[in-house]
Amino acid sequence: MTGVRNIFWWLCFALAAVWAQSRLPGLDALAAGIIILFQERDYRNMLWLLPVFILIQEGMGTRFFGGAIIWYTAVVLFFLIGHWLFEVDTFLFVLILSASLVAPYMAIEALMAPLQQLPFQPMQSLDKSVMQAVFLPFAWQLLVWSRRLLKPRYSMTP
Amino acid sequence: MTLRRLLILAGLLLVLFLGMYTWNQRTRTMDGIAINFGMEIAGTMLGTIDAIKHSLEEYWDRYFDLVNVRKENEDLRAEVAAIKARLRDNAEDLRELARLRTLLRVPAMAGWRPLGARVLSGRFGPNAVLETVTINRGYVTGGRPGTPLVTQNGLVGRILRASPHAATAFLVTDPGSRVAVLAQQSRANGILVGRGTENTLEVNFVRPDDGLTQGEVLLTSGLDGKYPKGIPVARVLTVERSNYTQFLTIEAEPIVDMRQLEEVLLLEPTGDLQPDGGAAIPHGQGGTQ
Repeated sequence: MTGVRNIFWWLCFALAAVWAQSRLPGLDALAAGIIILFQERDYRNMLWLLPVFILIQEGMGTRFFGGAIIWYTAVVLFFLIGHWLFEVDTFLFVLILSASLVAPYMAIEALMAPLQQLPFQPMQSLDKSVMQAVFLPFAWQLLVWSRRLLKPRYSMTP
Repeated sequence: MTLRRLLILAGLLLVLFLGMYTWNQRTRTMDGIAINFGMEIAGTMLGTIDAIKHSLEEYWDRYFDLVNVRKENEDLRAEVAAIKARLRDNAEDLRELARLRTLLRVPAMAGWRPLGARVLSGRFGPNAVLETVTINRGYVTGGRPGTPLVTQNGLVGRILRASPHAATAFLVTDPGSRVAVLAQQSRANGILVGRGTENTLEVNFVRPDDGLTQGEVLLTSGLDGKYPKGIPVARVLTVERSNYTQFLTIEAEPIVDMRQLEEVLLLEPTGDLQPDGGAAIPHGQGGTQ
């Protein structure tokens, strides 16, 4: 995929993700983009996209700075662990990854709430993490299809 | 890389993160950077999406969806006529109030200038743990932290964090929200506490002999110094005597439906005194619905 088309795609993705997050409170739609970046090993775009994603989440959130960094570290860590065990460019892998991310999502909520003297609400956190787990595989699938539209002979591995 | 090296690296990263976190808690530097850049980027994106959505809606409404327009126009004309009649009735009361204030030399409140803003989104992202909305005004365009937010019906909340052109507003329904209130009829004072958007509000510290009744409207008392006096906030749902405290157990519902917010007014303090004793709340803010 050419550089300009790629950047245009990422801008469209960021717009769509921001819109999705504005409709579904607690959702992180940008995480699907991080998975795509890792699957494609597109480290050049990751260098500017990851800080932008972190800034968006931290800037729009009401926690002290740091929650998004831990969350994205967990996404990357779980991806790398899964990378040793599975084929990463399959729907099944993303499904397992998103299901396993429920635990760190809740752990971060439980960890960060007392640091800001806020009550930890387990049921609310569980709802949000399940919504995240359901959203992620389908968003990822849509993104893969849309990338194939831009480049018909699209392959995840460069 | 051996397991030992991995563990050392993970430990180092953890120490680095904790150092950054505690340093930021003290200085708020990283929060400032995230708000100024992250909120600004997201605010711009949300503004663009909002603009596209509104143009499409307007195009649809103006050129396609014209069913019932004539009937709606007639209804609106009747409503305008009724409002004009009410304004005429109220004009004399306002003049009388001004005369009485001058007579009694009641100190006038600082003026508040209303400023319209559009709600761009509700709680945004996994880091948004408080009940908030994002609006399209920041500290450059009138949305400074602490600025109260109202609708034509009543109080919404106040601005918590602001970037140059977008801001996050804290709603009165958040469990951390406390508003000093005054009952419209009985003039009983209390503290309104939020319990989440899906739950009712709670009114604390109202004594049984204060005479608060079910259905009364609660207004901001202005005693907390956060909101101007006289803005409707909630309506009392239940009043019960408590077996445990000397105060009443009171539940209330917010006047404004926080799930349906589209436009809000920011009340910017102008710092001016109003010698004519004019209302501190902009026109249309004082009524209840």
